[in-house]
Amino acid sequence: MHRVGSAGSNGGSVRTRKEKKLTYVLNDANDTKHCAGINCLDVLKSSVSNDQSYLFTGSRDGTLKRWAFDEDATFCSATFESHVDWVNDAALAGESTLVSCSSDTTVKTWDGLSDGVCTRTLRQHSDYVTCLAVAAKNNNVVASGGLGGEVFIWDIEAALSPVTKPNDANEDSSSNGANGPVTSLRTVGSSNNISVQSSPSHGYTPTIAKGHKESVYALAMNDTGTMLVSGGTEKVLRVWDPRTGSKSMKLRGHTDNVRVLLLDSTGRFCLSGSSDSMIRLWDLGQQRCLHTYAVHTDSVWALACNPSFSHVYSGGRDQCLYLTDLATRESVLLCTKEHPIQQLALQDNSIWVATTDSSVERWPAEVQSPKTVFQRGGSFLAGNLSFNRARVSLEGLNPAPAYKEPSITVPGTHPIVQHEILNNKRQILTKDAAGSVKLWDITRGVVVEDYGKISFEEKKEELFEMVSIPSWFTVDTRLGCLSVHLETPQCFSAEMYSADLKVSGRPEDDKINLARETLKGLLGHWLAKKKHKPKPQVLASGDTLSVKDTKKNLSASKTEESSAASDPVYPPFEFSSVSPPSIITEGSQGGPWRKKITEFTGTEDEKDFPLWCLDAVLNNRLPPRENTKLSFFLHPCEGSSVQVVTLGKLSAPRILRVHKVTNYVVEKMVLDNPLDSLAIDAASVSGGQPQPLFSGNGLLQSGLKPWQKLRPSIEILCNSQVLSPDMSLATVRAYVWKKPEDLILNYRVAIAR
Amino acid sequence: MGAAGSKLEKALGDQFPEGERYFGFENFGNTCYCNSVLQALYFCAPFREQLLEHYANNKADAEENLLTCLADLFSQISSQKKKTGVIAPKRFVQRLKKQNELFRSYMHQDAHEFLNYLLNELVEILEKETQATKADNETSSSPEKIANVLKAPLANGVHKEPIVTWVHKIFQGILTNETRCLRCETVTARDETFLDLSLDIEQNSSITSCLKNFSSTETLHAEDKFFCDKCCSLQEAQKRMKIKKPPHILVIHLKRFKYMEQLGRYKKLSYRVVFPLELKLSNTVDEYVDIEYSLFAVVVHVGSGPNHGHYVSLVKSHNHWLFFDDESVEIIEESAVQTFFGSSQEYSSNTDHGYILLYESLGTR
Repeated sequence: MHRVGSAGSNGGSVRTRKEKKLTYVLNDANDTKHCAGINCLDVLKSSVSNDQSYLFTGSRDGTLKRWAFDEDATFCSATFESHVDWVNDAALAGESTLVSCSSDTTVKTWDGLSDGVCTRTLRQHSDYVTCLAVAAKNNNVVASGGLGGEVFIWDIEAALSPVTKPNDANEDSSSNGANGPVTSLRTVGSSNNISVQSSPSHGYTPTIAKGHKESVYALAMNDTGTMLVSGGTEKVLRVWDPRTGSKSMKLRGHTDNVRVLLLDSTGRFCLSGSSDSMIRLWDLGQQRCLHTYAVHTDSVWALACNPSFSHVYSGGRDQCLYLTDLATRESVLLCTKEHPIQQLALQDNSIWVATTDSSVERWPAEVQSPKTVFQRGGSFLAGNLSFNRARVSLEGLNPAPAYKEPSITVPGTHPIVQHEILNNKRQILTKDAAGSVKLWDITRGVVVEDYGKISFEEKKEELFEMVSIPSWFTVDTRLGCLSVHLETPQCFSAEMYSADLKVSGRPEDDKINLARETLKGLLGHWLAKKKHKPKPQVLASGDTLSVKDTKKNLSASKTEESSAASDPVYPPFEFSSVSPPSIITEGSQGGPWRKKITEFTGTEDEKDFPLWCLDAVLNNRLPPRENTKLSFFLHPCEGSSVQVVTLGKLSAPRILRVHKVTNYVVEKMVLDNPLDSLAIDAASVSGGQPQPLFSGNGLLQSGLKPWQKLRPSIEILCNSQVLSPDMSLATVRAYVWKKPEDLILNYRVAIAR
Repeated sequence: MGAAGSKLEKALGDQFPEGERYFGFENFGNTCYCNSVLQALYFCAPFREQLLEHYANNKADAEENLLTCLADLFSQISSQKKKTGVIAPKRFVQRLKKQNELFRSYMHQDAHEFLNYLLNELVEILEKETQATKADNETSSSPEKIANVLKAPLANGVHKEPIVTWVHKIFQGILTNETRCLRCETVTARDETFLDLSLDIEQNSSITSCLKNFSSTETLHAEDKFFCDKCCSLQEAQKRMKIKKPPHILVIHLKRFKYMEQLGRYKKLSYRVVFPLELKLSNTVDEYVDIEYSLFAVVVHVGSGPNHGHYVSLVKSHNHWLFFDDESVEIIEESAVQTFFGSSQEYSSNTDHGYILLYESLGTR
């Protein structure tokens, strides 16, 4: 169930069946903005050690950001990048430790005041980690809950500290991932040194709160860390003692998923928000529900309480933020948003609101004296039946919100919601949530054209090109931006002539493999940094390496001097250094991680990259591929006066142009007729084996042979359609031939126009 | 056999329905699966009506297919001079065996599989007929119309309007598959049509509870998450099936043959599953409409295993329940229907269990 046992088993046994994939994420030009919905936020209040207060946000784009305030402005002061999927929740523990959890099944800890240093990756969950809870006055205790009903209680201090003998074990622990529990975890490097994390399997084990039958979507803990409440699709609240992981009670009442929980500082009272659109107040001492508040007209996803636990701020799927007096049941609409509200955080007299949109807003909230909001009027009494509220809103009886404008807006970039891979298999047309249509070049990682708010469908049609190139990558947009996935061997199926890519200084018929060049572009920075480092330390522990590893390392070090350097990155594959893409790798022992290509230090473990990637980049060794060749027949047109050249099945690269076929026919004819020296070549092929003719540098380089002057003008046809000389055979097959059988081309003397 | 017929006539006496015929079917070696289903269908009033109409409209020259064979058989029964007796559905069975390898052997066959095959086959034949008449009409129509056809975009050739045949009108219902993403809570609904409902069964349960289970919520989770278009990612989701449009004739198939993994073979479940004479359907989309159905035929599997045994059918005709067992036809009490519910104990001497139930809609109340 958990990955605990995987320490000695060479890691990720589930995935050994399949080759690992490499993913890269195309970042938008602006790194100071989130590019997908904000799932969570937390405020770090100024303290003795730092007089600044900060806002932390975690997003569906997979990153966390720290925001500093300057009067009424906010600016991004750090980006925490390492999670490879949505960041679902984040919380501050202790002085400045940031804890985050993600759909990538990990919990990560960060130095919250650094410029993005991940201090630890905790891999205990086997499914998405949905929520966290921190004991405010017992800094070390953090609970994480997730799908599949997994809830773990961590002592962050213990989890962070090295367990095995430090230092001397450092380099020898390579079988556990060369990086082991390094003592200097907190101080290594200045950038995100994610790869330096290892699984906690051989050391610290968290306390498990066992007994959930279904997924957990909400957690809350009291200040001292003596009480933990969990909620989820079981619709009940479960109360635990986080010190032992033992159950203490189960409370029923909600009729749908429990999405959010809050505990007062003592742990006596609990507030819950549910997909049944109700807020409930529980007395855990009496083990009963005290109040049910029908405030929202749809699921309640976010709650925040003032320190005295007398008033609750709530938001949810109905995009409304309400303030409710828990004692008088009086409720007032504070503001309405354009997106469902996902999380709330109080700061001084204001409230931060995170929505499924990529921006964050701060609204006035009178946290210190909530009663003043009610004095403005427009309040109503919260009933205890949900349909009454639904009716109110249906009848449009909702009062105007107390506030119209947020006091601060932290803008984000709009997430991509629609995408289409163009036929050239190098460009992708995207549409974002605001309706802007852009064209991306995925081998350079940049937007090549911003069309503004136009019709996606029309643009798609306009950009249609009649070309056929094999699909060499897949794309998804779950992070709000484009994630391009490369998998072997499919990714190596597409090639292009270097001339068509405007790569100069290459032979005429030189072909470029798109995936290989893309990988070179992606790993270039890493290789460059690596070259300047001394020989990788991993080799020192060669005796523990498997044969495969040794081979890999040898090949890597051998080629370091040779091919990698002599093989420059071509301009069409040069990734932007202004907005560099991030690489996501499945990693090895430490689990998956993500990092910007420009932030590689060269110390990253080779084993964290898929072997096939290194093989392709360093040794130019590509896996065996199918599909790069195509078989076809060449026949004269019916009734054509051209003499018959008898040919068998021919075979040529898929990207071969029609004009090459024309040349071939011309040559054959001329050779066949007056000068018959080479005619045997064609005649000997009686239709059995495919004839591998158009290989190498093409068959017609001899531009100045005498018969050239006599060259008749030849047209190539397919399905009675004259083909443009620029078409490739693959394109002819896909758009003109349209049949599964072998392609048949016809030739004839061009009709004078 | 003649005696059996007269016995039935005697039993019914004056009450013998006007114009009705009760004929047994000869068994050609393990063809009871076919006989039992055909009897049930013969007493499905709208089905019989349509088939007889089809027979009347489709004379001699038509090419033989399952539909014409079945229509011939039905008209043969209904036009018998005698009120009772035995008929050999020879042509139909020959046609069936000719057309489908599955039914060719002398092995024991599954009645539900046969019913399913038959209905789908009829649909296909009827669709072809409609298309053919459509094409005829189009070619004979004025040039004006042809011009219109040509003007229509090319996409028309691909897009096909579903043809609603009378088989659809009688048996087809629509299920809606509602999926709610547990993250963004967006509900996506997808409709699918059905000609019969296959229900999982439990010991000591009822059709109502089986239908409830059928519509119960299933969570898509772990390795089987749902791709939510709104979230652009895989998320947990809750899925449930509801009946959006109840069919006129509701065919319920009880999954009595279950593959037992530990045994490596199918096993017959003799569970007691109560099927009421009047059924209220409550797992419909509009929860406030309870549509009512009345039971008119039951195909019964006799025997303890899946690979052998016998099929008979119970049929309600003009308020009498009749028992059809190949050649023989008997009248039974309505109360006898409950002896086919199944047994509460695993090993029981009674091995006659309701397998396919046919209900006719009484309309909404």
